[in-house]
Amino acid sequence: MAEYAVVGKRVPRIDSVEKVRGEAKYTADLTLTGMLYGKILRSPHPHARILNIDTSQAEKLLGVKAVVTGKGDAIRYDWGVFPYTRDWQLFPIDRVRYIGQEVAAVSATDEDIAQEALGLIKVEYEPLPAVFDPEEAMKEGAPLIHENKPGNICVHIKIDAGEVDKALAEADLVLEGSFRGAEEDYCQGEPYAVLASFDSTGVDIWCPSAGPHMKARPLSSALGIPTSKVRVHRIYIGGAFGGRSEIQPVDVIACLLSRKAKRPVKIVYTREENRNCIRQHVGWATQLKIGFKKDGTWTVGDFKTIVDGGAYASTGPIAVSVPYMEMETTYPLKNLRYDGYRVYTNKTPRGMHPEQNRAFHVAVEQHLDMAAERLGIDPMELRLKNAMTSGFTTATGARITSCGFIECVQKAAEAARWKEKRGKLPPGQGIGIACGSVMVGFPMGIRGGSSAFIKFNEDGDATIISGVVDTGAGNESMVVHIAAEELGLPMENIKLVSADTGICPLDQGAYSQTATLISGGAVKEAAADAKRQLFEVASRMLGAKPEELEAHAGNIYVKTDPKRSQPIRRVVINALANNITIMGRGYRWPDIDNDREWVTNPRGQFATTYSYGCSIAEVEVDKDTGKVKVLNMIAAQDCGYPINPMALEQQVEGGAFSSGIQQGLFEKILWDNGQNLNASYLDYWFPTALDVPNIQTVIVTTNDPYGPFGAKEASLAVRMSMFAAVANAIHEATGIWLNEAPFTPERVLEALEKKGK
Amino acid sequence: MEKLTIRLRVNAEDNELSVPPNKTLLEVLREDLGLTGVKEGCQDGICGSCTVLLDGKPVRSCLVLAAEAEGKDILTIEGLAIGDKLHPIQEAFVNYGGIQCGFCTPGMVLTAKALLDINARPSEAEVRRAISGNLCRCTGYVKIVKSIMSAAQGGA
Repeated sequence: MAEYAVVGKRVPRIDSVEKVRGEAKYTADLTLTGMLYGKILRSPHPHARILNIDTSQAEKLLGVKAVVTGKGDAIRYDWGVFPYTRDWQLFPIDRVRYIGQEVAAVSATDEDIAQEALGLIKVEYEPLPAVFDPEEAMKEGAPLIHENKPGNICVHIKIDAGEVDKALAEADLVLEGSFRGAEEDYCQGEPYAVLASFDSTGVDIWCPSAGPHMKARPLSSALGIPTSKVRVHRIYIGGAFGGRSEIQPVDVIACLLSRKAKRPVKIVYTREENRNCIRQHVGWATQLKIGFKKDGTWTVGDFKTIVDGGAYASTGPIAVSVPYMEMETTYPLKNLRYDGYRVYTNKTPRGMHPEQNRAFHVAVEQHLDMAAERLGIDPMELRLKNAMTSGFTTATGARITSCGFIECVQKAAEAARWKEKRGKLPPGQGIGIACGSVMVGFPMGIRGGSSAFIKFNEDGDATIISGVVDTGAGNESMVVHIAAEELGLPMENIKLVSADTGICPLDQGAYSQTATLISGGAVKEAAADAKRQLFEVASRMLGAKPEELEAHAGNIYVKTDPKRSQPIRRVVINALANNITIMGRGYRWPDIDNDREWVTNPRGQFATTYSYGCSIAEVEVDKDTGKVKVLNMIAAQDCGYPINPMALEQQVEGGAFSSGIQQGLFEKILWDNGQNLNASYLDYWFPTALDVPNIQTVIVTTNDPYGPFGAKEASLAVRMSMFAAVANAIHEATGIWLNEAPFTPERVLEALEKKGK
Repeated sequence: MEKLTIRLRVNAEDNELSVPPNKTLLEVLREDLGLTGVKEGCQDGICGSCTVLLDGKPVRSCLVLAAEAEGKDILTIEGLAIGDKLHPIQEAFVNYGGIQCGFCTPGMVLTAKALLDINARPSEAEVRRAISGNLCRCTGYVKIVKSIMSAAQGGA
């Protein structure tokens, strides 16, 4: 492992003290002079035409300052993440497609008045037939949710590589099966909130956003003003998990209310609104047919998946592709076929999730265990047999650079004492394994790269100006950590200005595991540029050439004669005294094939690099109640290189918990004809501190050639595999194969009873 | 609705407030006193983000009417550190990484304080039991438990 001064050292994150003192401000904590409170009237119908909206009574209520409707106040603008998925009029004009969709909104001097005013708005609807199940929605004669989308098919991803039929015919063992996964709620700690302040210069907006630049662009289109007049501000974010990514209707509505009332407007969602009116994780069904040689070599796979996408496309093409692509980069297969459908239903639009998508991965990993059982091979050995290695080019043409697959499996197995435990645990207990990989840095068009500046201030401290976004995972601390290493300046001497579209250059946001690789990489470049400038000034002060200098702990010194040194602070003053400004700049883009496209051309390099992970779970199953208790989780993650091992562990522990416990055992959204039945925390079943075992993190280092200091990403490969490890452990404990997630007591019990018969 | 005049002692300071009788302690702390370290997460008394200490006991301030808190000592996260000096539990959360997005942190730290005030050397099981009403979606609780155990052992 390379040695650095601060990179690789455990340090408290820079946001810790503010957060632990309760000083960190989130959107709902903000107040502006003259601020009003907004509330939204929502559709009670899953599918209906809006015939008329009468807001006259609401407007007369004392304290009401503005009432807006889609027809009266919004412009026609269909939002879509891709040019070919523009299907979402964010503030509907004449039609609603899910229960809870926005119909009208009020701003008033307090929330109670705004709420009362909603009751005075009269809406006339013409209900339309609705459909809630994606397989029903695909059938002929099903109600059409978008007229131009036959079969309610939103996206179809088709991949056919190698010779699938021939390889299946030649395989020694062919397994077929299916798996279903329910939708889950992200349950971010912070319910969504927006504060908008519109005046003649444009609009200022604060909201928990994983991509301020990605938000500013569509917001400007929806409001009909230039993008440069939309300023999305940086604010602390209380968790995202994929649910704070794209523009939300409420962003537009808060701006429209503010424009009309000529005062700032804050809208804070209730917990139920955070569930019903913000995108949540997709539901998923996967069918697969996979073939092996006798020696355990996995040779071929044929997959079909149907994703319940809700009423609009959202990140559809990505969400449908990602699980398949991740499998392709995890195991070195050349014969692969994939049919992925995202289907419209009359539900809230569905989005990405850090465990995108568990049903697909469980299906694959369970069938690998089934194959191991049938072929008499240890499941851990079967994975090693089919290990991805550096230098491989996948079925659709992605090359693998740094790859810690084998080391992850070996080290996780060693930490878990796999050989001692597998097949030897007491009755009712089991141990299971699964693997994963995750794309790091993928195409996001003209906003896919990140740029950064570093300025030096008169006191010798530095300020980074970067678009990097921190949704809670520690990205702000990460870029300061990287700059500290590159500049040779302590972290406490570096400030950060970030995630503000009015100040910061373009950044892709906290998407697709790019923050370290791209935003961090840009900051490293900017720091290197600033350091070059510092060394030029220092070389004159020290009588040495710039290339003979080094910076460490706030000082610049001559490498061969460390006694000759100058504090960076004095070098900065010297520069200013000579009319020189120290100002570094840098940028980083993903290293990908730009002509690759999710639907039309799913071939070529789709991410810069890939992280790897191996998860092992040990469980105990109560055969009388069906309750699964996870006893141990071991998570090995190839992160490239750990910038801050403590922050990395946070991500891996959180990932193992979210994947293995939340998604594996507990969480699902319940529906009745498009009505969410468990939107309140009183009704949603989630784990607490009592349901989580200790989690052991194993850090695997592969020094990625493209990553800053070799770093890739922090936990997603574990997130993608821990629930599958739990599923496989349940099988070892009980002999049952579950084909639907989460693995709730009733499902386990039902499967046990079926097996007993 | 006719307002009540109440006196609340918050973070060792007295306040006289005029509030509607149905206003919750959470709303008064955040809106009238500007103590936004008290977080609103679920409105149903489940998530524990709005936890404050009433006479040293953790309560969900979304389920307590402001008027009910009259005559009691109320401690919010803003009152825990003394000047620049963090409370040992806060220090442990910083040093052991018990914080991610930070939204649950104020409630979590106060719940931990209430535990350690009555049980200076809790077992890990007792710590987990104590914080089982404080929901965290980021951490998997590993570093939160470690932070609290370390604070109890004076190891912050």
